Amino acid sequence: MSTHTYKKFEDIDSGTLPDKMTVYQECLQAFNASTIHAKRCRLLLSRLLRLLYAGETFPKTEATNLFFSTSKLFHHNDSSLRQLVYLAIKELCSLSDDILMATASIMKDIHGGDILYKPNAVRTLARVLDGSTIHAAERAMKNCVVDKNPNVSSAALVSSYHLLPVAKDVVRRWTNETQEAVSSNKVFPQTQYNMHEHYGANRLLTATYTYQYHALGLLYHLRDHDKMALMKMIQQFNTQQPLKSSLATVQLIRYVGKLIEEDSNLTQTLWPFFPGWLKHKSDMVELEAARTILALPKFLSEQQMQAINTLQTLLSVPRTVTRFAAVRILNKIAMKSPEKIMVCNLELESLINDANRSVSTYAITTLLKTGNSENVDRLVKTISGFMDDISEEFKIIVIEAIRTLSLKFPDKHKSMLNFLNDVLRDEGGFNFKNAIIEAIFDIIKFIPQSRELALEMLCEFIEDCEYTELAVRVLHLLGEEGPKTSNPTLYIRHIYNRVVLENSIVRSSAVIALSKFALIGNDSITKSIKILLERCLQDVDDEVRDRAALSLKLLSTKDVEQAKDFIAPAFKYSLPVLEQQLALYVNNPDKEHFVHPFDIKTIPTMTEEEAKATEFKEKTTIYDEPAVQTHEASPDEEKVPDSTKLALLQQQYAQELGAIPEIAACGRLLHSSAVMELTEKETEFVVTAVKHIFEKHVVIQYNVQNTLTEIQLEDVSIVSQPDNEAYTEEFLMPLDVLRAGSSGSIYVSFSRPEGIVPAVFSNTLSYTTKDVDPSTGEPAEGEEGFPDEYQVEDLSIVPGDYVVPAFTGNFTHAWDELQNESVAVFNLGDAATMDLQDVVLKLVKTMSMMPAESTDVVTSSSSHTLKLYGKSIGGDKIAAIVRLASSSKGMMMKSQVRSSDAELSELVANYVE
Amino acid sequence: MGNVFSGIFGRLWGVNKEIRILILGLDGAGKTTILYKLQMGEVVKTKPTIGFNVETLTYKNISINMWDLGGQTSIRPYWRCYYANTAAVIFVVDSTDKERIDVAKKELHMMLKEDELTDSALLVFANKQDQPGALTAAEVSKALGLVDLKDRSWSIVASSAIKGEGLSEGLDWLIDVIKEEQM
Repeated sequence: MSTHTYKKFEDIDSGTLPDKMTVYQECLQAFNASTIHAKRCRLLLSRLLRLLYAGETFPKTEATNLFFSTSKLFHHNDSSLRQLVYLAIKELCSLSDDILMATASIMKDIHGGDILYKPNAVRTLARVLDGSTIHAAERAMKNCVVDKNPNVSSAALVSSYHLLPVAKDVVRRWTNETQEAVSSNKVFPQTQYNMHEHYGANRLLTATYTYQYHALGLLYHLRDHDKMALMKMIQQFNTQQPLKSSLATVQLIRYVGKLIEEDSNLTQTLWPFFPGWLKHKSDMVELEAARTILALPKFLSEQQMQAINTLQTLLSVPRTVTRFAAVRILNKIAMKSPEKIMVCNLELESLINDANRSVSTYAITTLLKTGNSENVDRLVKTISGFMDDISEEFKIIVIEAIRTLSLKFPDKHKSMLNFLNDVLRDEGGFNFKNAIIEAIFDIIKFIPQSRELALEMLCEFIEDCEYTELAVRVLHLLGEEGPKTSNPTLYIRHIYNRVVLENSIVRSSAVIALSKFALIGNDSITKSIKILLERCLQDVDDEVRDRAALSLKLLSTKDVEQAKDFIAPAFKYSLPVLEQQLALYVNNPDKEHFVHPFDIKTIPTMTEEEAKATEFKEKTTIYDEPAVQTHEASPDEEKVPDSTKLALLQQQYAQELGAIPEIAACGRLLHSSAVMELTEKETEFVVTAVKHIFEKHVVIQYNVQNTLTEIQLEDVSIVSQPDNEAYTEEFLMPLDVLRAGSSGSIYVSFSRPEGIVPAVFSNTLSYTTKDVDPSTGEPAEGEEGFPDEYQVEDLSIVPGDYVVPAFTGNFTHAWDELQNESVAVFNLGDAATMDLQDVVLKLVKTMSMMPAESTDVVTSSSSHTLKLYGKSIGGDKIAAIVRLASSSKGMMMKSQVRSSDAELSELVANYVE
Repeated sequence: MGNVFSGIFGRLWGVNKEIRILILGLDGAGKTTILYKLQMGEVVKTKPTIGFNVETLTYKNISINMWDLGGQTSIRPYWRCYYANTAAVIFVVDSTDKERIDVAKKELHMMLKEDELTDSALLVFANKQDQPGALTAAEVSKALGLVDLKDRSWSIVASSAIKGEGLSEGLDWLIDVIKEEQM
């Protein structure tokens, strides 16, 4: 290629796109010419494709012109040109409606075209077909699925997959062909690539069996709702016709994982397949099998050990990607059950010096998590020497690990803080410093005894802090925590230094922090603060002066409580709810609405302890991802932290209930339970229930979902019968009509007795069914329907419904403070059938309290002590210590509950589901 | 190297000149059958054409791109997208379909009004002569109003695609006209 032409195409590498209109014009000209130059057209098509792949679009008329011009290239028989034509049509079909004009040409290529572009034709066909034209292509598609050439077969399988949403019932008829494709043995024909001199036959794999992967994926979707068929499929591809493709095997393991996730009773039935996978010749199969075993809770510990042993061997293979994947899986487990991977510690330690930094960082953080109180100090020292070598992103990962570690071992906070303090002095960008500050903040919040040391470090940090945002946050924290310490004056000096030396944003937050110290109740401090604030009145910046003046004004009032409310409020607003409500208020189209000012009282508030409880939960469960990633997860489901979801849900309930006049009369909603399922998910009518507790009433919300498409329900009502006479039904709000495929809510209100009275409600759904005419969606006129009843599961009001989780930084202290101890002992039944971790999680849920000191993680297989803390809706504190032990006689449980309300502790202690 | 020679000889004999011919007509008239009878000499089993078929055939040293466009109502609007650079149009009529001959007439005249087709020759095949009750070429010509056409070379030939009758006769005429007028 001469330098001249070479220059001309330089733009392909430079990243600038060719001009859209030029490409358009040139394409039209060249494609419509009476003689077609294949080479030139190929070049133009590749430019067009480059534009389209970069996200450029053409207006409809131009796209249509392009499509018709491109379709004219079908009369040229150059194979490479034809391939590009297909690529272009595939892209253009989303922009132009006239795509059906290519159908005959595509079909011709599928029937008798060159093997080189036949797969392209198949893939394009899938885009062209719709529900009405698919029948014409059915035979051709079936033939392609079972084609001997793996490329054609793959193309047909992937296309069928794409056609599923278009015509599921038609694709379903291809099941046999798909089945045949999985079990067939296809190789690339010798002639296909050999003729090309660049690739000798030996340089290309003759068989990759990727079509098995595609076929398996399609087969799974065709059998999606049939568990038995899936089981049979898994059985078949393991024993009778083992899969040749590693990708397909990995996919099969994922399906197995999904089955187990949905029905954990299958775990042991499916286990026999795993040992083979754990010793597979392909790394990825071994990794996937190990990952699945470790992510699902129901595997026995010796089975999990087998998986960990596999990972252990993978840690020392020469392939970096495999090492990385293995260490990453271990890292995830380390979060939940570090003791399980202790066996790998030797390998992990040798990985600290791995040439790949990603591997070494994961190794370190994993070791940090498995660390027990003895070796933590040593590890932290190792990392200190190592920090300078790694990039900032990894430093952040290390910092996060240290943060969780210090929350886990509160008594090690000193060495952790020293480490954090050292790295805080290092050079670093905002994100890095931010991570460190976050870590220190958490330590201060959740480990009270660390407060003074950590605050001192922060004071030093802001003396020389280049990030305004961080300085402001630190000052705010000093204002919050400083007054609680034994020697608050120390911090006043540091804060006032900021007023003298920093920019106006930092100065104004320093002013607020200072004013909080005036509320301690020490007169001399209050006096000094007032003097300092008066000096701030001379500041050049408005904001600083305003804040100082406001604080001074509030401090000079006699009413200390009022000053406190403004300067150091005891509660926080729930910010996500506030945001949602403000947005609602501002976006209200009705102008009249703005006559009333926004009512801040509708926003739920949280005391500091409640806020901490939710925050702590988030921080410690941050790595707890769903066990098996399902690709069906809807993309619009944003990642909202649990507490936010909870607050929003609670808010939503309050709003919904408030809109119903009868229920609004019940007063303020105190607590809503989690959603309880009263039926299996697969039943025709799915019923779930939520218990709403009010001052003097209990409202049960039954959500009924009609999953049938041809039946409409009318007069849907619930007969709810409590077994305790203290509850009397007040009113019932049935559903008049529940249309096919829709859902609705029924409300039943009961009067609530004083105190906490457990009760079991038996529930029967009653309704009248009517057949629906599928064309109109309406039931036929004059149809009377059949009255019917449907018994659903019982719903119990448990003591947990009256308790909300709360955080305590010091459980022992909280425990000692409370009186009124109740003790109860239970035998939960055969220990062999129960997993300790499951029992613990269930207890946490039913008792509705916050696990303290991370005791919700079971570390031993035979016994466990769970510590829980919460508050009743009446405001009584409650703490529980639950000891569990499994023995030959069964799972023994001893619960000790203390509360400021004797009755409450007795009820909670004696309640077992 | 062989390409170079054939190129030179081709130009001498006029082979290298490619011409475009469209085959149009209502659905079921026999367009696709005619196309493949001309190209392969065989009667193929056809399905209604959704879109188009395009084949290249060499006839009397001329390379012809034959475009057979689908005749279904939904596809007819797209005919115009393929009019550019067309040397001739072959319009196929089902001589037994007396009910729709008016529709065929309407489509034919609408097509001929297009600017891009002003210079194209027109050949009409009164097809399906092998079937009983078929109109004769003269009757079809009258029904289509061909005599009213001005400034255009046109001809009508009775044909039977299945038996292969009339096809080469019609094509001979067409090639002669194209050679005379457009080369």
